[in-house]
Amino acid sequence: MDQYQEQMTGLFQALADPTRRAVLGRLGRGPASIGELAKPFAMALPSFMKHIHLLEESGWIHTRKEGRVRICALEKKQFATVETWLSDQRALWEARTDRLERFVMTKQKKEKSK
Amino acid sequence: MSRSFNPDLDLKVSRIIKAPRAAVWSAWTDPESFAQWWIPAPTLCKVVAMELRPGGAFVTQMSDNGGPFVPHLDACFLAVDEGTRIVFTNCLTGGWRPAEQAFITAIITLKDHPQGTDYEAYAMHRNIADRNKHEELGFHDGWGTVTAQLAKLVE
Repeated sequence: MDQYQEQMTGLFQALADPTRRAVLGRLGRGPASIGELAKPFAMALPSFMKHIHLLEESGWIHTRKEGRVRICALEKKQFATVETWLSDQRALWEARTDRLERFVMTKQKKEKSK
Repeated sequence: MSRSFNPDLDLKVSRIIKAPRAAVWSAWTDPESFAQWWIPAPTLCKVVAMELRPGGAFVTQMSDNGGPFVPHLDACFLAVDEGTRIVFTNCLTGGWRPAEQAFITAIITLKDHPQGTDYEAYAMHRNIADRNKHEELGFHDGWGTVTAQLAKLVE
């Protein structure tokens, strides 16, 4: 799998989980500490950290240490990546349909002039 | 068929082609014709297999600058309804064998139209994310913009 596809798979996999989506939703309002992010969830911190790691690895968020607190923030450019990927796919199908149309039209013309 | 459009992962390209449905169908299903439009020139396309039946292999290769032919698509037909519909996926290869990499299921439909043929390519891309993520991420600015742009695809 090429790097781009791998990255896309990672981005979408990260979105597949409700906890991770909620974390992204919260971070959409601004950076937050892990403690603050974990608060609404009834799960042990190690389990919650797994979600944070996955979000970080996939590229949706980045984290930094401020003193003894780890702060998470959204990686905004990933939203653009997802969008670009789909518009690339769309462009591909549009162009493919253009070529099909042109091919059929040219063939029709040739057959008529025979 | 029940399917709902997922603007994050699905796309739909529709076109009225001013030619009879049979002509469009033939451009799609005659390997020699198909090879002429499937991949943009100057890249060459070779149809290795086009077994037009459910489970049939659908394999194309491409070649750039006179180089060797390399894999392009390795897929499996799921449905082929003469003259009206072609469904294929690369989640499977010929003979229903599970594929290493799954990426897309495409549904091509052809309908008669007063001006010729109503052609539609509907592509669904792989993802595990469910469709509720929009609602949950809806209040995020960046996401909102993306959603608005993606929503245009639904038309």
